[in-house]
Amino acid sequence: MSSDDMKAVKEIIWSVVKNNISLETEKWLEDFIQSTNQSAQLAKVFVMLPRKTGKLPVTINDEQQKALDAAGFGYIRNWTIDRLTRVWLLFNLNLGDKELLFSGIDRLFLSAEVNEAVALYSALPFLAHPEIWVKRCAEGIRSNIGSVLEAIMENNPYAAANLDEAAWNQLVLKAFFTEKNIKHIVGLDERANLQLALTLVDYAKERWAAGREVNPQLWRLVSKFINAEIFEDLKTGLQHYNQTEQRAIALAVAGSDYPQAKDFINTFPELKLALADGSLNWNSI
Amino acid sequence: MCCSSSIARDKVTMGEPEAFDISTVKGLKFFDPHVHMTSRTTDDYQAMAEAGVVGLIEPAFWLGQPRTGLDSFRDYYSSLVGWERFRSSQFGIKHYCTIGLNSREANNESLAEQVMEILPLFIYKEGVVGIGEIGFDDQTAAEEKYYRLQLELAKEAGLPVQVHTPHRDKKKGTQRSMDIALEHGLDPYSVIIDHNNEETVKEVLDRGFWAAFTIYPFTKMGNERMVEIVKQYGAERIMVNSAADWGISDPLAVPKTAALMKLRGLSDEEIELVTYRNAITAFAQSGQLDEADFNAQVDLTEKFEGNTILRGGQQPKPDKSSIIIS
Repeated sequence: MSSDDMKAVKEIIWSVVKNNISLETEKWLEDFIQSTNQSAQLAKVFVMLPRKTGKLPVTINDEQQKALDAAGFGYIRNWTIDRLTRVWLLFNLNLGDKELLFSGIDRLFLSAEVNEAVALYSALPFLAHPEIWVKRCAEGIRSNIGSVLEAIMENNPYAAANLDEAAWNQLVLKAFFTEKNIKHIVGLDERANLQLALTLVDYAKERWAAGREVNPQLWRLVSKFINAEIFEDLKTGLQHYNQTEQRAIALAVAGSDYPQAKDFINTFPELKLALADGSLNWNSI
Repeated sequence: MCCSSSIARDKVTMGEPEAFDISTVKGLKFFDPHVHMTSRTTDDYQAMAEAGVVGLIEPAFWLGQPRTGLDSFRDYYSSLVGWERFRSSQFGIKHYCTIGLNSREANNESLAEQVMEILPLFIYKEGVVGIGEIGFDDQTAAEEKYYRLQLELAKEAGLPVQVHTPHRDKKKGTQRSMDIALEHGLDPYSVIIDHNNEETVKEVLDRGFWAAFTIYPFTKMGNERMVEIVKQYGAERIMVNSAADWGISDPLAVPKTAALMKLRGLSDEEIELVTYRNAITAFAQSGQLDEADFNAQVDLTEKFEGNTILRGGQQPKPDKSSIIIS
């Protein structure tokens, strides 16, 4: 996204924030942004912010929503006002150079309580110098706190755009392990890779051995990488009686470049029919 | 340890639990070789003692969120050989620990370097029965680096190693952990591979390592599956633990598994090996674990640095069913 586009996003977010806070709070925020010594006040302002803004869900008008949708940030309609204002605040920081920006925000991360951490990770796509937050984001994926993980994994474009393959794969795996909404992971299909597919197949086998269900979205990430070895495991999955899982495997096979697997699926009349009539897709599963 | 498992849904797949009848295992002794007591209450200690747990090992791990400075590590290690050991002794349970830098926090390399420098201050202490729990979590390069360095430390100190295997990508992570241990010249008989499941157990045993199983609701092994594993592979070099911590976990996992094994027809000898003897044999290689020290008489008036868990006049075993707390 160009810097002009980001500037426009910043303005829409500010208009949403303003609609959801008092005039007094608006003035308080403006005073901070115009201050020549932001770094001295940042921690205090960031931490005490919910006292000024409240914590209600944001209301967004249609025009604002349309603009946000177009920029890819439509999901902020589900945020509370303190989260949105904190993100806006970080988006607008002017601490000087890259190092000062890093140390100022890193300090907030180190002492963050849960809501602060959620806002900090939510702000990653809006911060300058995206490369300096890669380690922090990978560290966030190690969190055990559900809402923090959701802030990183769901509806957050930062990870897909910036993480290396190992950290990305960790994010997706952990999302399965912690039962996040896989469909909300930004860049899921674009960043599918062989290593991840192999790991996910191992994970599915482990779940089967433990007598547990497998999230059908898992097969979506295996699709493009089906080979002879994976095909053998898919055959095992197709023998299970879980219809959703069978359908997911059929859909994965349909999207693959492995003809033997396609021929095999055609031996299941119900699956062949469901694929042929186009009623199966990853959003319906 | 985990975060957001849905209890309601798992109950559907797992069914309603049978009641645990403690009399099934009356008279048996248990040893839990992996349990994080700093996260547990005195009620847990009492319940464990009543169910027959006579000894335990508390591996050093992370605290649910990352530490930001060296002193937090130092104080934590000190508490494992200090206050927690004393607290446990008040319930008649012999407390041992393993000391190490856990895999998650190995990823903070600048801090990890400092932690490595203080580890030698702790690993030679009395009652430290191994280096642990170390190994892989995300399987990053930093995790590998500190895993290798700590394997060297274990070799130098002649201590067993308690290896945490990752939740995610477990099979490959477990294989890699074993490959690296062998590469560093460790005897597999001195390495306890923890958190096994059906997919990993065969290779771990075939390669001569100890296979530990964590009985932990929802995310790791259930004890019914555990019974099947012992039926299939026998009891040699297999041990169970609770890994009870700050997550939804069960400090009675070892006695409960023993009870279930008994109900499902396993022999007393197999039960003893899996829930007591094997863990002791494995960790006694440290020279720091002696069964003769178990069951030392509980002196409830003993103090640790002037502190006791008994506040003035408190009874050792309060009546939990009473509304009156006196």
